[in-house]
Formats: sequence, C-alpha cells, structure tokens
Amino acid sequence: MARTVLTWWIPLLILQSFLLAIAFGSNEVEEEFSESLLLKPLPDRKVLAHFHFENRAPPSNSHGRHHHLFPKAISQLVQKFRVKEMELSFTQGPWNHEHWGGSDTLSSMNAKPVGVELWAVFDVPRSEVDTSWKNLTHALSGLFCASINFLESSTSYAAPTWGFGRSSDKLRYGSLPREAVCTENLTPWLKLLPCRDKDGISALMNRPSVYRGFYHSQRLHLSMIDSGMLLEQSLTVVLQPDTVYDGKDLQPSWSLSSLFGRKVVGKCVLAKSSNVYLQMEGLAHPEAHTLLKNEEFELSIKPDRTLRETSSVLFIFDIDKSSDSEPFDLSLTWKLPSKWSCQQAPLHASRFLMGSGNERGAIAILLKATESQDKLSGKDITNGGRCRIKANVFQIFPWYVKVYYHTLQIFVDQQQNTSSEVLKKINVSPSADKMSSGMMEMMLELPCEVKSVAISIEYDKGFLHIDEYPPDANQGFDIPSALISFPDHHASLDFKEELSTLPLLSKFKDKSLVRSYTEVLLVPLTTPDFSMPYNVITITCTVFALYFGSLLNALRRRIGEEERFLKSKGKKTGGLKQLLSRFTAKIRGRPVESPSSEPTAAAQSSVLSSKLLFKIILVAGVAAAWQYFSTDK
Amino acid sequence: MEETSDHPNPTTDTPGTTPEPDLETMRSSKPGLKRLLITTTVLFSFLSGLPFLWKSVEIYRSQLPFHDIDSLSDQVKSAPLRFPCTFHAVFVGFGSNDPDQLRSEIQDGVNQLIGESSQCGSCNVSISVTVQSPDELCSETFPSTCSYRCGVIKRDSFGRGLDDAVDESLDDVFSGCSGGIGKMYSVVVVNKENGDEVKAVVGKRRHAWIVGSGLEERFGEVVGRVSEVFVKVFMNGGREEGDSIRGEFMPVGSDGRLVLSFSLLNSNPRDWIYDWDFQRIDEALLAPVTKALAPIANISVESQVLYHTPKSSFSSWDEKLQSYIFRTSDLPFFVNSNEWHLDTSAGASGRSKILQFVVYIPSGKECPLHLQLPNEEISKTNGFISPMWGGVIVWNPRSCDKDSESPSTNTISPQDLEKIVEVFLGQFRQLFGFKSEATYTSELGSYKILPSERGFTEWELDVLSRKHTCFNLRSCATTLGSLSRLVQSLPRMIIKDEIGEQVKYSLKAAKLAQSNASLGGYSSSASSSREARSLAENAFFHPSIMSVSYFSYEHCFAVYSPFFLPVAGHVVLAALREWRRYKQEKAKYLTWLTRKKAA
Repeated sequence: MARTVLTWWIPLLILQSFLLAIAFGSNEVEEEFSESLLLKPLPDRKVLAHFHFENRAPPSNSHGRHHHLFPKAISQLVQKFRVKEMELSFTQGPWNHEHWGGSDTLSSMNAKPVGVELWAVFDVPRSEVDTSWKNLTHALSGLFCASINFLESSTSYAAPTWGFGRSSDKLRYGSLPREAVCTENLTPWLKLLPCRDKDGISALMNRPSVYRGFYHSQRLHLSMIDSGMLLEQSLTVVLQPDTVYDGKDLQPSWSLSSLFGRKVVGKCVLAKSSNVYLQMEGLAHPEAHTLLKNEEFELSIKPDRTLRETSSVLFIFDIDKSSDSEPFDLSLTWKLPSKWSCQQAPLHASRFLMGSGNERGAIAILLKATESQDKLSGKDITNGGRCRIKANVFQIFPWYVKVYYHTLQIFVDQQQNTSSEVLKKINVSPSADKMSSGMMEMMLELPCEVKSVAISIEYDKGFLHIDEYPPDANQGFDIPSALISFPDHHASLDFKEELSTLPLLSKFKDKSLVRSYTEVLLVPLTTPDFSMPYNVITITCTVFALYFGSLLNALRRRIGEEERFLKSKGKKTGGLKQLLSRFTAKIRGRPVESPSSEPTAAAQSSVLSSKLLFKIILVAGVAAAWQYFSTDK
Repeated sequence: MEETSDHPNPTTDTPGTTPEPDLETMRSSKPGLKRLLITTTVLFSFLSGLPFLWKSVEIYRSQLPFHDIDSLSDQVKSAPLRFPCTFHAVFVGFGSNDPDQLRSEIQDGVNQLIGESSQCGSCNVSISVTVQSPDELCSETFPSTCSYRCGVIKRDSFGRGLDDAVDESLDDVFSGCSGGIGKMYSVVVVNKENGDEVKAVVGKRRHAWIVGSGLEERFGEVVGRVSEVFVKVFMNGGREEGDSIRGEFMPVGSDGRLVLSFSLLNSNPRDWIYDWDFQRIDEALLAPVTKALAPIANISVESQVLYHTPKSSFSSWDEKLQSYIFRTSDLPFFVNSNEWHLDTSAGASGRSKILQFVVYIPSGKECPLHLQLPNEEISKTNGFISPMWGGVIVWNPRSCDKDSESPSTNTISPQDLEKIVEVFLGQFRQLFGFKSEATYTSELGSYKILPSERGFTEWELDVLSRKHTCFNLRSCATTLGSLSRLVQSLPRMIIKDEIGEQVKYSLKAAKLAQSNASLGGYSSSASSSREARSLAENAFFHPSIMSVSYFSYEHCFAVYSPFFLPVAGHVVLAALREWRRYKQEKAKYLTWLTRKKAA
C-alpha cells in the first residue's frame, strides 16, 4: 500500500436533524448461501471432488442494490449488461468420458472443454446483444484475470440457434482453447464466496493439490430466476490418491486430508447448509451399505443420511458438528477389490484431423457406440417402430479454417450415407474472412444399433495478415471443441427417498441434457518468415535500381566517340587488360576489337581511385548525415 | 553484365584528355543536347516526385491548437480565476456611523485578510453596507446591491429563538437580493440594548449574524469580525491556510464521477456477524447529500458486506482503559489490502474516483478496539481518514462476550447506524477539505456554524464549486500542456482527428468556464470546467496515443533506401557528367567559331 495514511481526529458532527426516526424493518426475502462437496470414487482408481456453492439473492428491484452475501461485482455485472443467464468455465485437462462418466448429471454439467468457455443470454434488444457481449467479456476479463477479452472480436464467438441446447436469439457462445488456467483465476473466483477459502468446505482448496489433479474445472453459472438471482459456483477436480499399489487390485483408500492436505474445521458460518456427500457406484450389495462398516469398505464417520438411487448410494454428512478440536476428515478404506463401470453417453465422441500439408485438410468427428447403449436403447422413444438416437453436433470454425460444407460426408457403420437418411436438420453459417467465424449445427438421427458414425468435412487453410499472427505462431491454431448433445437423453439422479431441500441434490434431480465435448484440435497453418517483407523490399529494390542505372547509362552512351577514342589509343596493352577485353567480347558475342582500349595504367587507376574515393566519401557523407539526423531526434 | 556496361562510362568522359590535336581543343559542330536533356528530365522528374513521396510517407497528424493551449496554461498560471462575490453588511442599532466609512474599513479588513497571495478560486469582492439607526432610519452605501427594506430587522426581537429559525427569517429578509452578479453573502450585526454576550452564528444559507450589546463601543472589533466572516468563512470555507490537506485535493474522478463504496467488514464471522440495512441509510441519509453535491460531482453509492477480513496491524490490551488499543502510528498498516476486497466496482467506469468507507467490526480477540490519539485520549469517533482513499470507522459491538458456539446474525441498530453515518459525513467533509466541527474559532472569537442536514451548507457548496472550477481548469491546463509537449516531442506520432476535436472542445469548455466564472455563474462554470477537464483527460488517454506505435524514420529509411539511394546516385552523377561534358564541348565549339572567324 503505497498511499500515505494521515490520521485525523474527527469530533462528532452534530447533525440534529439527522435524528430521524427511521423504521427499520426486517427483509421479507433473505439472501441465501449454501456450500456442499460431493466425493465420488472413480473406476480408474481416482477420486472426483465436486465443490458446489450456491448464492441466491432476491430480485434487485424489490431489494435494491445493496447486498449482504451476494457478491457486489456479479450483481453490478448483471445490472450493467442485463445478463439473463451466463456460464463461464475455466478448465484444464480432458474429461475421461469412459471412466469418469458420460451420461450422469455430474459429467454432463461439469465436463467442460479445455480452456475458457463462456456463453451468455442477454435481456436487451437484439441489436444491442453484440455490444453487451463485448462489454461483458471485458468486464469478466478484468474480474477473473483471464484473457476473456479475446472473445470480444467477432471472429471468435458465434450465435448458436438450436445446436447448443438452448434456443434463444440473444445467446452468444465463445471459447478460448488456448487459455491456461491457474491459481490467478481461482483466487478471484473464491473472492465471490462470502467465506472465500478461509472457512468451511472451500478451505479444502489447497492450491497445490487442486492443480495437481488430472482434471480441473472451475465454473460459474449465473441465472435470473423468478425468485431473483442465482449464482452457482462449482469446482470439479479429479485427483489421484497417493497409495502404493499392493497387488491386490484393491481400490485406493483415501481421506480428505490425504487428498487435499487439509481438513474441514467447521462450516462457513454464513452458509445455510453445509454438506459433504459421498457417492458410491456399483456396489455389490446396495442394501447393506447403510452400515458404517461392511465387508466391502469402511467409512471413518457415520453418515447422517443415506440415499439410494438406481445404480448408486449416496451418503450425506453434515459438517456442523466439526470444530477445531474435532475436524471433519472423512476417509474411505476399501477391503475387497471392487470393479464397476460408469454410465456412458449413448455415443462416445472424438474428433481428429485428416490430410497433410499446409494447404488443405479435413476434420472428422467419430461417434462410437458405447457399452451402455443397449441399456439406454430401451428408454429411447421408438420412431415408427424403430429405435432412434438423436444427436446434435455444434461446431465453431475459425475463419482461417475455410470449410467446404458441400464436402460434408456421413459414414454410418463405415457405409457412406446419403445425408437425408440420418441428417435431419442442418444449420450452417459460413465464415467471412476476418469478419466472423463459421458455425455448423447438425441434428442426426441414428438407429440404435449403430456401431460408429463418422462425419468428415474438408477445409482449406487460410492466410492471415502478418499482424494477425499470435506470438509463437508456429505452435499452430486451435479449433474449439465440438459439442455433441443428445436431446432425448436426460441425466438425473432418481432417488428412492423423498428429497429434502439440499441444493446440490435438487440440482442433480433436475433433468439435464446429456452432452459431451470433443477434444481441441491443433491446426498448423503456414507461418511466414516474419522478416520477409524487408527481404522482399530489399531485393526487388536492388534489382530495380540496377536496371534503372544501367538503362540510364546505356541511354547516354556515345558508342561512336568511344570507338574513335579507342582507335586513337596505342597498340600496347597489358596482358591482363587484353585478356579481360577478350573475355568481355566473348561474353558479348562480338569480334575482338584488336586495337583495344589502352589508357595508361596510371591514368586509369588514378581515375578509378578518384571515382572510388568520391563514391566512398559520398556514402560516408550520407551515412554521417543520417546518423546526425537520426540521433538528433 | 551490368557491371561491364557500367565500366565504359568513365572512359566516355576521358576523350577530352588525349584526342588528336585539333579535336582536343575545338570542334566544328554544335554539341548535341539529347543526352543532357534525357538526364536532366530524369533528374527533374525525380526531384518533382520527391514531394509526392514525402506526402505519401507522411503520417496523419491532426492539427492541435498549440498556441491556444499555451495561452490557456499561461492564463491559469498567471491570473488565478476569481469569482465575483457581493458582501452585504447590515448594521442594526448603530447610531452614529457613516456607511461609506464603514465600507472602507471593512474593505481594508478584507484586503488585509486576503493578503497578497490571492488563491485560485477566491472572490472579487464588492462590499455594500447598510446602517440602521436605533430609530429605524437607514443609510446605505451607493450603489446599493440589495433592496433591504428598512426596519425589517427589529433591533430587540432579533436573535430570539432557535438559530435555525433566525436563519430562515434572514433568508426571507434578503430574498430580494438575488440581483447583481455572483453570489451575495450578508452579515447582520445587531447592537442590542440589554446586556447580552456577543454571539456570532453562521447560517445554513449565505447569512451570518452577530448579536450583542455594546457593539457600538467596540466598533473596531465588530468590523474586524465582519470582515473575518466574509473572508475566512464565506470565501475560504473555514479552512486553515496551513492545512495539511491541500486545497487541490478534490476527490472527484476526472470524468466528474464519484463512487462512494461502503463496506461493512466482519473481521471474524465465527465470533459474531453483523449486518446493516444500508438501503434505508442510502435513501434517508445519503440521498440528500449526493443531491446537494450534484453540481460538483455525479455521486453514486454502493455497499457490500465482507467477512473474514482481519486488520493487518496489531493492537494491545490496555489495562486502564479496559480495551484493546491501536495507536495513530499503527494506522498506515490498518488497512489490509490482501484480505479486504474492497475494490471491483463495475459501476465505476474508467476514470471515476472511488472513495472507500469502511466499518470495521473487530473480532472477539480484539474487542473492544479503540483508537488512541497521540495525547493519550481515546478518539470519540474511533475512525480515521486517508486522503483520496476514504475513511475507516471501527465499530465495537455492544457486548464483547461471545454468546454461544454458533454466531448469531445481528443487525446494527438504527441509532448506531445513524452515529456511523454522522461520522461518515464528517469524514466525507474532511475529504473535501472542510472541518467536521460545528464551530470556527479565530483570534477574535468563535463562530457557531449551523450544520445542514444535507451535509454541506450553501456557502460551503459555493466554496466547493469555486475551488472545484479552479482545480478543474488547472488540471485541464496541465493535461493539455503535457499533451502538447508530448505531441511536439514526437513528430512522427499519429494523432487522430478525435484527439484534435477533444482538445478543441476542451479549450472551448475551459474558455466558457472562465467567462462564466467572471460572470458569477457558479454551477455553470463548475460544470463546464468539469467538461473541459474530462475532455482533456480523454484526449490525453486516447487509446490511439497509448497503443499505436509511430511509423519511425528508421522504418521509412529501411523501406525506401534500397531503391532510391542507388538510383539517385546514378541519376545525379549522370546529369552532372553530361552537364560538364556539354560545357566542355560548347567551349570547344566556341573556340572553333572564334578561330573560324579569325581565319
């Protein structure tokens, strides 16, 4: 703090008229904050931790601009840019759909593309949406210490119509795959929580352990609901517990302190509810697991409640009772080897590049049937007696990837398919050079027994202006992830017990669209030699100057006079001189002029040297003048 | 190839040196002009192309009115801005005094107090005096600036009752006095018959009164006090000259906006949580203040409650006072910029100023917490300010005992909140350079100052707008001055038209502010000076100045020299040679002609 703090003793300012009787009443609607943590062992010996914070504020028109728990920065953002709904996510690492789940609520909500993803719906006239979006990106960029402001340029965002799963003409979507996510993004995110990471569940967020994980995604979802504003902040991490492999194929045992290096010493006092959940999937005897100890595993703390779901059991812990002397340190110890698999999305999506060279290539999206498809197909709607899977593909292309939409090919089970059979709907907005990015939305309807679907589209690589290359252009350019969503599949947890009003669980009970993001693609573009313009200028100018000079000399040459002069010269010539003249004559294809020119060697050399001297002096003079001129500035 | 064709050139020039005897000195034909013409046309076409080339590499620079900028800054520096003010003194119950003599005496007193150093934003004083004798006969100085109706102020009944009521009645008396240029300030001196001690009050509007008995005998003192009220209070706003808060400090952003950010800090919510109903404070107490200050700044108010915000200085337990103590020496370390996330205001755009007002609720470990002054006393307000940053108030809960394990959420009671707001307002006044006390004391005596419910009285607002105008003009002049210096020092910098226009409008607004000020339009000059300053800042911080690197001479040279340098060499040399040869040949021809004539 660089400012100087002066001290002033301030005697009471007596403002008699201020003693107004102000009736202070209590608010009808309160702001609410709740925190929760969901832990879930994953089949590949990892543990998923999902922090979820919910902050509700009553509508601002009835409650005013002054907040008690709700972050001021966010409410000002909402007021200034009239945001109706917004989601911002910072992600590092790819989500493993096979092992970490593909169709449950957790993965369809929290599996995000690498880098930064932002979408927002605005409550402004349609003509002002773009301006609002641009301003919002700048504000968020400052708020979260990230380069979200790069989403401002019209080449980096798109306006999806239906492919994104949310149809609104005031929706804008953009993503920055290159953005590196680190602790400087987490700190401002934590600043929005009333307890920050000082107290409660968020105290677990030890930076080294959070960033050591395999996957890390920090999300902020803001929505205007009937009862005001709802701000959801969640952090999903996939961690590897530190255990020695004992050869018995046992799942690793872990505790909160071993995962995070910290313990929970009490709830955030401002939170209305503060819970830890443990979700166990694929248990052998789901009935027996209400017990603290059983033959399969052991928990260190007795759960307050147990909820059963079709495929999993949920243990609920209340951390109210924990204190400094008795910290909450949940641990799970496995006793028997156990194996299970996660719920998979109907199709597993991956994306890759085809072709070689710096001119053209093709992008292919491959959808592969997963194991779970048989199970799911029973639930599918039958369309004319045939089972169908609907899949929406949403993809943004940067303008320098010039896609030829007519080359779109769809292969179903390796058979090329006429488009109309599976492609029910397509919406394409082509890119304009340096103006806007291209967008493709496709709705596919596939038979349930499909094994694989491949979509390929060809493109030409564009040329960028020299100013438009980013630093380190040789690394290549990223194409943002494609989004595959399954509109007929909804993920939700279906609890047998009646649910209380636990925020995270009610969130999980809501049906959410099953969606998965593909990988980010890296396209190498031809990168120029950035010193090239100067090289080109120099060489062309030199050639032109030589041409010009010789033309001028040729114009003012007096051949007759020269010949006369040469004739008048004596016959004695130096051996070298003669050789030279002969050589030049040979090159010119003229007969050797036997009475070759012979100025006295001394005169010749003196003339040459004086000319040379003159030239050198000229150049030196110009250089000196230039030096003087430039240093003077 | 090129080299070899280049080589014979020198030999073409040599024929003059060793030809046959007769050809050496003369020639019979007229020398040809063809080659000379070719080379000179090429040379001239190059020379005539130069201006076009120069034009094409020229970068765009909008013409800035450097001369006007210089004259503005000279004006601001040499002649401080002065506003016309009219001072009107009414002496009631004085029998034997000549108003003209009184006026000259007051004028002397005023001049003495103003002194040599005329501050920027001070007054061009014109004084008028009315004397009302005990038998209600009036005599005035001429020209009279105010139609004071004789006998309206009754000698004996004046000054009874509440000061506020007296202030209101004086406003009625002088309601007809709005004429003339500038603002009109009045002092009423009432000489009473029955023995009362002398009482001097400065009202909420632009009036002050001195009431007492036997004033006619202590005549010199009364005149001194009247001129003191005029200069020290009405003109300078009761500020001390040697105040360490300099008059130039004006906590208003350069775009004329000011954001008051109120934060309630619960240093440890595990001990207790306090909340406030800020909405009501805002509506009931702060809205009048922001409205009153509207001509000076566009003020917006926002609030937040923060938790887990310990202070970063230490406090010690004082056995005698039964409380924790932090001293004035700890204050620089009190504000914990790591944990107090006061910033982030999306409402404050660009260059607006944010003033932070913080209510700090100590944790259970340091409760009660008091500020000890250097004189070992406990501060009554328990707060401090930091100029241009804001203020901090430490508010101790009623009871420092932790009630139970789970902290309860309390709301600060309305009475406590009102006290807090009073301290806030005091701090706010101090940040603007005013005193927070309700009295003004000088050698001649003390004056009671009636506080306004709007936080600032009318005459204080006048002082503020005078100072503000002056400050804005000065900052506008310095900004434009540095812009013009910058632009002149970088001749290859691109200057967009926008910047030129902003500078032009800024100068225009500054001129308008100056002329309005000389006409006595306080609020209009304040607003146009604000505009001038914000436009000047906009021009100075225009993104194109900051980001566009200029097209340098080096770059220009690198691009053009590979072509023009060698070509220019050829062209100039060729023209020179042809010219020399032509002269030589012509001389030969002339000698031949003369010889022929002679022959």
